[in-house]
Amino acid sequence: MKIRTTREQRIFRFKTTLRWVMYYLLIFISFIIMTSGTWYKPIILVPLALGIAINNNIYASALTGAVCGYLIDIACGKLFGFNAVILTFFCIAVNLLFELYLRDRFINYIILTTIVSYIQCRLDYKFFYQIWGYENVGRIFARVTLRVWIYTVISAVFVYLILKLVNRLLMPKEHLTIEEAINTNLQAENRR
Amino acid sequence: MRDFIKSTRFKVLLAFLAFLVGIMVYAVTKGGYSVSGASFINTVTKPFRIASNGISSKMEHTVDKLSNADKYFEENQRLKEKIGELNAQLTDYDAIKAEVEELRKFVTIKETHDDYILSQPCGVISYVTNDPFKSFTIDKGKADGILVNCPVVTAEGLVGITVEVSEHISTVRTILSPDLSVAAVASSSGADQGIIEGSILASENGQTRLIHVPKKNKLKRGDLMITSGSSGLFPKDYPIGTIQNIGFDSNGLSVCADIQPCVDPSRLTSVIVIIDFSGKKEDGDED
Repeated sequence: MKIRTTREQRIFRFKTTLRWVMYYLLIFISFIIMTSGTWYKPIILVPLALGIAINNNIYASALTGAVCGYLIDIACGKLFGFNAVILTFFCIAVNLLFELYLRDRFINYIILTTIVSYIQCRLDYKFFYQIWGYENVGRIFARVTLRVWIYTVISAVFVYLILKLVNRLLMPKEHLTIEEAINTNLQAENRR
Repeated sequence: MRDFIKSTRFKVLLAFLAFLVGIMVYAVTKGGYSVSGASFINTVTKPFRIASNGISSKMEHTVDKLSNADKYFEENQRLKEKIGELNAQLTDYDAIKAEVEELRKFVTIKETHDDYILSQPCGVISYVTNDPFKSFTIDKGKADGILVNCPVVTAEGLVGITVEVSEHISTVRTILSPDLSVAAVASSSGADQGIIEGSILASENGQTRLIHVPKKNKLKRGDLMITSGSSGLFPKDYPIGTIQNIGFDSNGLSVCADIQPCVDPSRLTSVIVIIDFSGKKEDGDED
């Protein structure tokens, strides 16, 4: 293993702290945007939570998913915890997918965000409108749920760019020694 | 993946998920009162939400003006003629004057209904995100004496009911929602009763529905529907809306009508909560 100097360790800690402050600032701003005005708006916290889950450790991803989920519940007036459970589950899943199978590419992120936000919108529609058997409930799906889903997918593009910028500036680069690189390769081959 | 499932972190994450489900179940049992975590977040974010909502409503007004310029132009012409006919010269009211006027209206509620115990005027902080029935949050809560299921009104008419109450914030479900039913009676006859309940179709036009009216009735377009007070949830004789179109229910056994609410729930800036009134059903009361 490469031993970090004290200065490197300090920079590492500072950048990590600042990065998380930025993440949570973005989460806060997204929440405020979501609770403003009367128009239909994207659920920005979904792509944001997933974007954060891609590049960070699994526990932090799960916690961020829960926080974002709770904020969605408050903004959208849903049962407290409903979206928290959904988003925590998907943040863990997305983190694992990117750790084991996928590369950090825009196309992978947008496909996963599209799927997850659709499931989130669909579950919301199912549990808060469809099962109550309102007359013409399909109109809610066509006019509200799908619209919000499309807005969310569009917003994911911007969220990805912002997160990319934050990560580029503040994500500490992993330094591998030649020995580490060889070991990592050997471990991967052994696993196969 | 198999390694992950057997690992400690999988168990930790599973326990975390179970904990979240537990909180969700706990939230269900609270019967409309916010979980303390939600209450805290609501309190902390309240000033930011007020500020951003102010900015966004101004932006929405500006974009709305630009996108509907033709419509507004026509409307403007029509209104100009009307103004000319009436020789009205009242066009500009500044914000303070409007606010004073609004407060004065609230005072009239108290004057005309002396049995009401009213909250202080409540500002509308924000509308519930993506809610087709225009539920909204107000800046008063449990600390101001507001409880779950308190009627919410303006001087013009009934707006809805409180459904979730935090320490300093409450959520209001409007009369556009299918989850809110109000027993109503026609003010002209005082005999034609029905239930006012929101519907998805009607809410798209900012209207609600009057249902379960007997076939033999004297209802006509333009009649004002008021609360009958029979449920004990709403005070008696409070205006709800006027009848627009009358027809038959889908089963053909009763009459229904579209109701234009006296208050447009999507454009509210302040409301009043009726904390208590004579004839109010308490939680412990039997039906």
